[in-house]
Amino acid sequence: MQHFRMTGFRAAVASLALAGLTAVAEAKTQVTFYYPVQVGGPLVQVIDGYVAKFKAANPEIDVVPVYSGNYNDTTTKALTAAKSGKPPTTAVLLATDIFTLIDEDVVQPLDDFAGTPEDKAWIAGFMPAYLKSAQVDGKLWAVPFQRSTAVLYWNKKAFAEAGLDPNKPPTTWDEMVAYGKAVLKKDASGKVTRWGVGIPGNVGSAQWLFGALAAQNGARLMNDAGTETYLTDPKVVEALKFWVDLGKVHGVHPPGIQEWGTTPADFLEGRIAMIWTTTGNLTNIAKNATFDFGLAPYPGKVAPASVLGGGNFYIFSGAPKEEKEAAFKLIKFLTSDEIQADWAIQTGYVAPRDGAWNQPNLKEYVAKLPAAEVARKQIAASVPEFSTHENARTTKALNDGLAAALTGAKTPEKAMADAQAEIERILKPYKK
Amino acid sequence: MSVQLRTPSLTLLVTLGAWLLAIIWVSPLLYAVWTAFHPPAYAARFELFAPLTLDNFARVWNAAPFARYFLNTFMLVTLILVCQFVVCTMAAYAFVCFPFRGSNVLFMIVLLQLMIMPEVLLVENYRTLSKLGLLDTITGMALPYLASAFGIFLFRQTFKSVPKELEEAARLEGAGPIQVLLRVFVPIAKPTYVAYGLVTVSYHWNNFLWPLVVSNSVQTRPITVGLQVFATVEQGIDWSLVTAATMLSVAPLLIAFLIFQRQFVQSFVRAGIR
Repeated sequence: MQHFRMTGFRAAVASLALAGLTAVAEAKTQVTFYYPVQVGGPLVQVIDGYVAKFKAANPEIDVVPVYSGNYNDTTTKALTAAKSGKPPTTAVLLATDIFTLIDEDVVQPLDDFAGTPEDKAWIAGFMPAYLKSAQVDGKLWAVPFQRSTAVLYWNKKAFAEAGLDPNKPPTTWDEMVAYGKAVLKKDASGKVTRWGVGIPGNVGSAQWLFGALAAQNGARLMNDAGTETYLTDPKVVEALKFWVDLGKVHGVHPPGIQEWGTTPADFLEGRIAMIWTTTGNLTNIAKNATFDFGLAPYPGKVAPASVLGGGNFYIFSGAPKEEKEAAFKLIKFLTSDEIQADWAIQTGYVAPRDGAWNQPNLKEYVAKLPAAEVARKQIAASVPEFSTHENARTTKALNDGLAAALTGAKTPEKAMADAQAEIERILKPYKK
Repeated sequence: MSVQLRTPSLTLLVTLGAWLLAIIWVSPLLYAVWTAFHPPAYAARFELFAPLTLDNFARVWNAAPFARYFLNTFMLVTLILVCQFVVCTMAAYAFVCFPFRGSNVLFMIVLLQLMIMPEVLLVENYRTLSKLGLLDTITGMALPYLASAFGIFLFRQTFKSVPKELEEAARLEGAGPIQVLLRVFVPIAKPTYVAYGLVTVSYHWNNFLWPLVVSNSVQTRPITVGLQVFATVEQGIDWSLVTAATMLSVAPLLIAFLIFQRQFVQSFVRAGIR
């Protein structure tokens, strides 16, 4: 009886939804693919174009690309779907979500699909620095797709005005401070109209760029297994102190917290002469800058270093086997040298394969816009983004600490000690 | 409302305070209007005679299928509003006029639902929808909201205040239960319907998380989810585009509110929702 009533209800609701139902072809294997759009431009059309190409070459596979907002939205959507038993087949999610996805038991290692020597060669074609952020416990959980890295943009016109060599970006922390002081401009009332350097420190970008600062000082924020952080390491604290002192002692950085979202605008309007942001901004800045600018690798204290960012392809374990195998084919196609070269040109992302950089179209692009290659050269000296188990909570603890130090509410020592204590509490269950 | 303000200085103070709060409240909207109608160069600069432009709107309109998103939002909100009015009216009427054993307990259970945040049910609702085959449909998106505990509560309170004499008079005239509801209760509760309708429409017009999770295609995506295209944070925020898109998406509600302002304010005062 209960069952009968249920079907009756279902039928009623289904008839209500007549308009929304679409017939699904039975014969084809259907791959659902969630992806976020993080940079401007008509990227939805670009992805649709790639998918159409793939479908033409693989008529037995039907791909449904689902644009799903930004990274956060896409993760929420994919996790909700996976938890309710109907996951997407594959999704592009943040590289840093790897531990969360493994802990939630929703993703499957790609090793399970990469059987042939040809597959192995394809995996070996990725740059090791990018591949590292997809490997946990000796397994490959994802493959790099839309990857970026943090770089320094500098205003050549401002450098020339200040009597600096406009073609020589800073390579050390001391140089950055010195150049920053040189380009500083004040109006008659003493108000700064042009700052030396801007490092975005709001929630979401603070932990990313701080990873670069720590690496430049020869320190790491966490271990590869994602079970430990090293925030009280004197070198880490020193890196934070340097960041705070840029504003407080040297007076070359806008006071308080610099916002990520407005940083490119600050640079374009000449309010800040050197900014730290992502390679993903190159297309935007190149298009809108009214002055000559340069793109440089980050300076260093111990050694120059930067941090990697961006998203990887994950395969969801809850999807049917033949769908997952079809998704593997799709991923191989979308991360091939040809597509990655085109993707890099369309978006400003860094192609994570050396092979892609040898494609004629990307070579031609680099010849026209040499700045595009700066990021590639820096990758070998880059560290993975901050990522641990319980990543959302540990990242919040770190960001809270950084914000407290940058606004002057706590000393760098105290801020990092508090954040470290909080993170140790969160990560306790993962310590073996 | 009817508090007597005796001293003129107190009146002045209250007026000043009200103006101050109003200005603070409206300033983001003013900024949005300013930025949306000016070229990007003036996004963070104020110049009275800066050139006006509609270019931002054109760029936004061409960047996403906004017409379709509007239609989706409109269908979603209409479906929810109509169903909520019917379901909540019937339920409230039953609670007020046809008490039965345990009806108070049942009402308590309905009220309990007010304490559950919809986000908590995200995964369960998604699972139910996928079993019903309603993922990525507007019907599915509306389904969890077709009944509302708040609506039932509100209508019940309003119906309770209807004088018994009116109901009895109608019955003596030979009106059946449905006629009593439609001829006596609903007309008296009109301000409540208007006020509740406004709350529901604005809530569902702005709802984001649930539609995001359930919608997969342009054919179902409501405007709030579609707007996300412009929040491309990695590249910095193009405020002119964001504000133009925001103006577009709030415009229908804003215009409707300005036109029906008097009715809305009166309804809120009478219905006691704030």
